[in-house]
Amino acid sequence: MQQIKNYVTADKRYIKVIIGLVLVIALAVLPFFIQDVERSYFIYFLFLVFVYITVAQSWNLVAGYAGQISLGTHAFFGLGAYTTAIVWLHDLTKTGYYFDPVLMLLSGLVPVVLAIIIGIPLLSRLRGDSFAFGTLGVGFILTVVFVKLRTVTGGADGLHIPSLVYSSKLPYYYTGLVLALFSIGTVYFITRSRIGLALRAIREDETSAASHGVPILYYKVFAFAAAAFLAGLGGSLYAIYLFHINPDSVMNLNWLFYPILMCVLGGNGTILGPVIGAVFATALFSFGNIYFARMHPVFSGLLIILVMKFMPGGLVGLKDKIFTRR
Amino acid sequence: MIGVLPQVVVNGILFGTMYGIAAVGLSLIFGTMRLIFLAQGTMIVLFAYLCFWFFTLLGLDPYLSLVLVVPIAALIGMGFYYGIFKEAAALEDKNVSLLLAVGIMYLVENLMLVLWTPNPRSVVTEYTGLVFRPFGIPITFTRLMALVLAVISAGAVFLFLKKTLIGTAVRAASEDMTSTTLMGINPNWVNAVAFTIGIILAAVAGVAMSTVYSFDPNYGFVFAIKALIALTLGGIGNVYGALLGGLLLGVIESSAAFYIPGGWTEAVSYGVFLLVLIFRPYGLFGGSIKKA
Repeated sequence: MQQIKNYVTADKRYIKVIIGLVLVIALAVLPFFIQDVERSYFIYFLFLVFVYITVAQSWNLVAGYAGQISLGTHAFFGLGAYTTAIVWLHDLTKTGYYFDPVLMLLSGLVPVVLAIIIGIPLLSRLRGDSFAFGTLGVGFILTVVFVKLRTVTGGADGLHIPSLVYSSKLPYYYTGLVLALFSIGTVYFITRSRIGLALRAIREDETSAASHGVPILYYKVFAFAAAAFLAGLGGSLYAIYLFHINPDSVMNLNWLFYPILMCVLGGNGTILGPVIGAVFATALFSFGNIYFARMHPVFSGLLIILVMKFMPGGLVGLKDKIFTRR
Repeated sequence: MIGVLPQVVVNGILFGTMYGIAAVGLSLIFGTMRLIFLAQGTMIVLFAYLCFWFFTLLGLDPYLSLVLVVPIAALIGMGFYYGIFKEAAALEDKNVSLLLAVGIMYLVENLMLVLWTPNPRSVVTEYTGLVFRPFGIPITFTRLMALVLAVISAGAVFLFLKKTLIGTAVRAASEDMTSTTLMGINPNWVNAVAFTIGIILAAVAGVAMSTVYSFDPNYGFVFAIKALIALTLGGIGNVYGALLGGLLLGVIESSAAFYIPGGWTEAVSYGVFLLVLIFRPYGLFGGSIKKA
């Protein structure tokens, strides 16, 4: 079905690429047209959207494409944030740290190591719900470890990164933009490759995929690890943004449920879905936060319910719903 | 050390009863709808608050308030099923139901924060401090009542599943929903009944909890996860196992809290959870085929 659609819309693809490029360039030059960038809420809003896109694409890859519902996103996000803070505070890599690519890369790779270590036993033995809850358990154990290993992680109070390096909002904005594009690109190229084909085969029917010679464990662990990498990158950027991280802020369950909400809201298992979902949900949360401060999580709950009830295919699915008459 | 062991075990069992009731509810809902109802813990806290409200506003005895709380729970259960889950339950993609449960969790939890503030509450009656000492092991009256409530409600559920026609239908549906539907059983009705019983059990657990512990709105999710662990220990989809799993989890937690220096208790229960998931995915109590 997807193949046929691609064929039919092949000439439209250039238009899509052009629209995408124009959007990216617009986002890149946007700060030059905003008068007070440092105090602009819009720039902050977009920064948040970029972080959410990165984490949402992570979940999209493992759940949307590989069909393995992971509830461990916040664990990898938090581990990325903690890696950044610990490496920085202990001066481990001797690089500049502030927006240091080496540091961010490292913060992505540590979650990858964890993902491989826990992914092999969990993914080889557990399916569906059991896998989801196994990953949830990993998140909880990691939270306890962060709280208890006081000498390394600062316990419940967390870690303070020296915030004197802060000078401007712009580096956050651009790093966020690059990360978001990187995550979209990563997921795009993975899913358009042989690996993506294997992942979708696993999602549709694991037994059938295995019997056709797809090494399912290898590909599932690959998707899980790649997702951990993206989540870790997001966590690293967020840690540099917060300067003070603790289990409450980076191991928060919102980092698990919001990306899921965004993927599902936009359309799970599509490239654009999580992006649309992230923009839409972040906008709603921001409005909620400004206009009804205390009530806004109530509305996000209501929103999840309404979206899942009336358009389980997400906003991307809405297009098909409108254009295909039943 | 040995001298306190019986007390640690008894305390664990008494605490585990609440995990047990919650897990039985989860198990019933999972059995028919193939959904882990993550909002179960939040519902328990909601009913604890209702009980708290009846107690402080109307001066109603917490155990007597069951007469009001249970019908309310039944209404909420039916309302949730027909209002929210009905379409999603028929879908192949179970994530939709799971996310609906997450949505309910967010909604109810934050509504409670607005209504009752994040301050911990508890129901303190004249018999809160009452303690029995059978065999020298101190047992508070409220914890004993929690156990009694758990046993009664679990017994009622077992009888319902075994002796009534609709109970049989629920059991049949958790074995094989497609065949059950082909036999002329309305899947929505079966789902709604199982779901409602799950919510009623949440109400019983909530009332029991309100008398024993202080609670706040954020406690719900942790409680749901504990119920989930209990469910896994007992074997997902196994109603009898769920209750036993709850008791076992209670004992594990209370002994971990006693023998392992503070704070690591949580990690121990999640560790056990992971190990059981990996090595005994159908639970500790044998019979993987025995469902509901």
